[in-house]
Amino acid sequence: MIPAYVAFMTLLHIANGTVYDPANGINGQIRDIWIENGKIVEAPADPSSARRIDATGYVVMPGGVDIHAHIAGPKVNAARKMRPEDKRTAPPVRRTRWSRSGTTGSVPSTFATGYLYAGMGYTTAFDAAVPPLGARHAHEEFHDTPVIDKGFYVLMGNNHYVLRQLKAMTDDRPGAEARLRGFAAWLLNAAKAYAIKLVNPGGVETWKERPAGNVHGLDDPVPEFGVTPRQIIQELAQTAMDLGLPHPVHIHCNNLGLPGNWTTTLETMKSLEGRRAHLTHIQFHSYGGTTDEITQPGKAEPFCSKAVPLAEYVNTHPKLTVDVGQVLFGETTSMTGDGPLGYYLHKVTGRKWFNADTEMETGCGIVPITYREKSLVHALQWAIGLEWYLLVQDPWRICMSTDHPNGGSFRAYPEIIHLLMRREYRRELLKQVHPKVLERSVLPDLDREYSLYEIAIITRAAPARILGLRNKGHLGVGADGDVSIYQPNEDLTQMFSIPRWVIKGGEVIVEDGEIRREVFGRTLHVAPSYDPACLDDIRQWFEAHYTIQFANYPVDEAYLNSGSSH
Amino acid sequence: MLAMLTLTYRSDTTIPIEAEIIRPDLLAGKSAGEIAQLLVHHGNRQVPLGEFFDVQGDVSDEQIRLVGDCRRVKLIGAGMQRGSIVVEGSVGMHLGAEMRGGNIEVHGDAGDWVGAEMRGGTIRVRGNAGHLVGAAYRGSRRGMREGVILIHGNAGNEVGSTMRRGLIAIGGTAADFAGVDMIAGTICILGSVGIRTGAGMKRGSIVLGSAETPALLPTFRRACVYRPQFLDIYLRTLSRWGFPIEDRHFTGKYVRWCGDLVALGKGEILQWTAE
Repeated sequence: MIPAYVAFMTLLHIANGTVYDPANGINGQIRDIWIENGKIVEAPADPSSARRIDATGYVVMPGGVDIHAHIAGPKVNAARKMRPEDKRTAPPVRRTRWSRSGTTGSVPSTFATGYLYAGMGYTTAFDAAVPPLGARHAHEEFHDTPVIDKGFYVLMGNNHYVLRQLKAMTDDRPGAEARLRGFAAWLLNAAKAYAIKLVNPGGVETWKERPAGNVHGLDDPVPEFGVTPRQIIQELAQTAMDLGLPHPVHIHCNNLGLPGNWTTTLETMKSLEGRRAHLTHIQFHSYGGTTDEITQPGKAEPFCSKAVPLAEYVNTHPKLTVDVGQVLFGETTSMTGDGPLGYYLHKVTGRKWFNADTEMETGCGIVPITYREKSLVHALQWAIGLEWYLLVQDPWRICMSTDHPNGGSFRAYPEIIHLLMRREYRRELLKQVHPKVLERSVLPDLDREYSLYEIAIITRAAPARILGLRNKGHLGVGADGDVSIYQPNEDLTQMFSIPRWVIKGGEVIVEDGEIRREVFGRTLHVAPSYDPACLDDIRQWFEAHYTIQFANYPVDEAYLNSGSSH
Repeated sequence: MLAMLTLTYRSDTTIPIEAEIIRPDLLAGKSAGEIAQLLVHHGNRQVPLGEFFDVQGDVSDEQIRLVGDCRRVKLIGAGMQRGSIVVEGSVGMHLGAEMRGGNIEVHGDAGDWVGAEMRGGTIRVRGNAGHLVGAAYRGSRRGMREGVILIHGNAGNEVGSTMRRGLIAIGGTAADFAGVDMIAGTICILGSVGIRTGAGMKRGSIVLGSAETPALLPTFRRACVYRPQFLDIYLRTLSRWGFPIEDRHFTGKYVRWCGDLVALGKGEILQWTAE
C-alpha cells in the first residue's frame, strides 16, 4: 500500500553527494540519488521534471534507524506526567507554520519526538517495550508522532500464558509448544507489534508475586509457575525463529544494573545455543564486582567493566547482535518494564518512583536519575558503553542507542558519534570523570576511531538489517526515500545535530535542522500466521483472568492510520 | 534625574497578565516609553505592558512602585536579582517566585506561590497570602532555598512545602499542611494552623505561637517542654519587623515534637504552651 503522504510527490534528485551507503558498499563515493513516489529509483530517462538538491560537498547517508528507544505508550506517558519539573526548565519546541508545539526534557511530547528525531536525520524508530494491554495507547501516540516510521516490541517474557505453556512443555503436556507459538503469533497480531521483547524474563513476575522479589540467575524458578528465565529465553528465541519474524527475540537480560551481572549476561548468550538474538542496552549488563563492595571494602572485587570478555563472546558468535544503551552525563528519566529495577533505582537514588502491574502481562518502573561525572559508578557506565562500541569488531552487529531516555536522550547520538570518531575528544572527557575509571576500564587504552562509513553502519545499515527492514538503512534501488544530508564539520556533534536536509519518503522535511514540512510515517508491524485452533484455549484463559473482553483486546487495522494531520 | 519608576494599573481585564518583566534589574536603562512597549502575556496573547499600566519614571534607582489592584498580574518580581518593588495594592500569583535577591513589599494581599523556589531576598506581604508560600513547584525536589518571606496576615495551605532553607513568618493563621515535606529551614506561625502540620518533614523547625493547641499528626513524638534559647533571637527580630509578638512568647514554654517519623524525623514542631 502506498502511504497517503506520497500523493503529491515529484521526482527528487540529490546530486553529487558524498555517499555513505554501507549496505551497498558505497564508501564516500560521489553519487547521484533519485527518489520517485517515495522510493529510490534508477536515474530516469527524463530528469527534467526533477527537483534538484545540489549535495556537492555534503555527506549523504540513509535516514537513521533507532533500534531501541522508549517513545510511546503508557510508561512513556506516565514519565511525562511524573516529571513536570523536567518539562518546566527544558526549552520547548515552538509552533511554526509547518509544525506543532511540544515539550522536551528527558521525555519529549509526541509531536516533539517526531520533530527531534527528524531534526537530526533519523527517520525510523522503535519503542522497545509495550505491554500488549498498552498497545492501543502506543498506537494512538504514534498517530501524533510525525515524520518517522515507527513500531514497537511487545512484552512477552513475563506473560502468564507464556509461562503456563512453558510449564506445560516441561511437564510434556501435548500441544504446549504449538500453543506457545500460536499465542506469540496471535499476540503480535493483536498488538500490531513488530517483535518479541523479553524484559528481565521471569524476574518481573517474581517481583509481582513476592515482596522485593526478583530472579538472580537463569535457573531461579519463577514462583507459582516453576519455569526458569533460561526456558523463557530459549523458547521465545526459538519462537521468533519458527515464526519467521524479521527481528529475532529482543532481550533485556536479568539483573540489569547490578554489580557482577556480567556472568548472567554471558549465561544468557550461552543459553541461546546458537539461536539468533538481539541483546539490548548491553552496557547496563556488563558489570563486574559484587554487591558486597560496600559492606566489605577492600575484600570484594570492586565494581568494574566486563565489556572485554562479553564483547569477545559476541565477536565469536555471529548470530548475536547488541545495542549499547550509552550513558551520558546529566539529568534523565529511567523507565523500564523491569519493575524490580525501578524499585532498586528508587532505593539507590531516593527519588520519586512510579510502579505499575499490568495484569497478566508485565510490570513497569519509572525513576528520575542524574548521571554525574564525579560518580564512579556513573563514569564507569559511560566508559563501558564506549568500550562496547570500540570492542565489537563487526559494526554490523552493534547499534547506537542510549536506551532513550534511560542512559540519556536520543538527542545525544551526535555527541556519541563525536566520541567514537575522535579519540582525543574521548580522552579530554576522560580527564573530567572520576579518576578510578582509568583503573577499572580499558577505555583509556582503546585507540580505535570510527570512520563515517562505520558510523553509517551502526546508526543506519546495521539496525535496519538486524530489524529485517529490507527497505531501510540503505540507498539502493527500491529502498525507502529516507535520506539525511550533512554539512561536513570538524565539530562532529554539530555536524550530526543539524543536518542540512532530511528527506522522508522523497520529501524534504528538514532544512538546517528545522522542520519545513510535516508528514506522517507508517507504523511498522508484523502479522505472522497461526493456527486459529489455538484461539479457543487463549480465549478461555483470557476470559477467566482479564479485566477486558477478549473481543475488545486486539488493536484493529484502523489504528494503523499513519497520522493526524491529513 | 527622573522619579522612581511608577506603574499605575488601570485595566479591568479578567484575564491574567503574566508580567515577569516587572523586575528592577530587567528594566534598567529603559525609558518609560520603552517599558510601556515591552510585551507581556495576556491570556495566550502578547500585549504591550502599556495596555495595562501607566508608566512613569525609570529604574535608575533600582526601584519600582506599582499602584492599584494588580490581582490579575502574575509573576511580579519573579526571578529578580536586586532592587526593590513596592506595591500599593494587591498582586496575583507567583510574586517573587525564584527571586535571588532584592526586596518586595506588598501593601495588600498576594495570590498563591509567593516566593516559590526563591533563592534569596526578602518578600513582605502586609495582607494575606494564598497557598504554597515559599513552596516547590509541582514535581520539584526543593522549594525555597534561601531568603525571608514575611506574611503579616493569613496564609493558605502548604506554607513552605519542601522548603530547603530560609525563614517564613506568618503573622496570622496558616491552613493545612504547613511545612509539608520540609527539608530544612524555619517557619514561624503566630496564629492557628490547620491539620497535618509538618507532614513528611525531614528537618527544620516549625514554631507555632498560637495559644490554641493544634491537632498534630500521630507521627510526631512529644519530646519535652522547655524554653528554646535560640527562639528569643527570632522573636525579637520578628517583633522588630512588626509581627505581633507577645510577652507570653518570651516568657512561656514550648512543647517540642519530633518528626515527621514517617520521614527522616529530624524536624521539630515547637508549640507554645501555657503549661
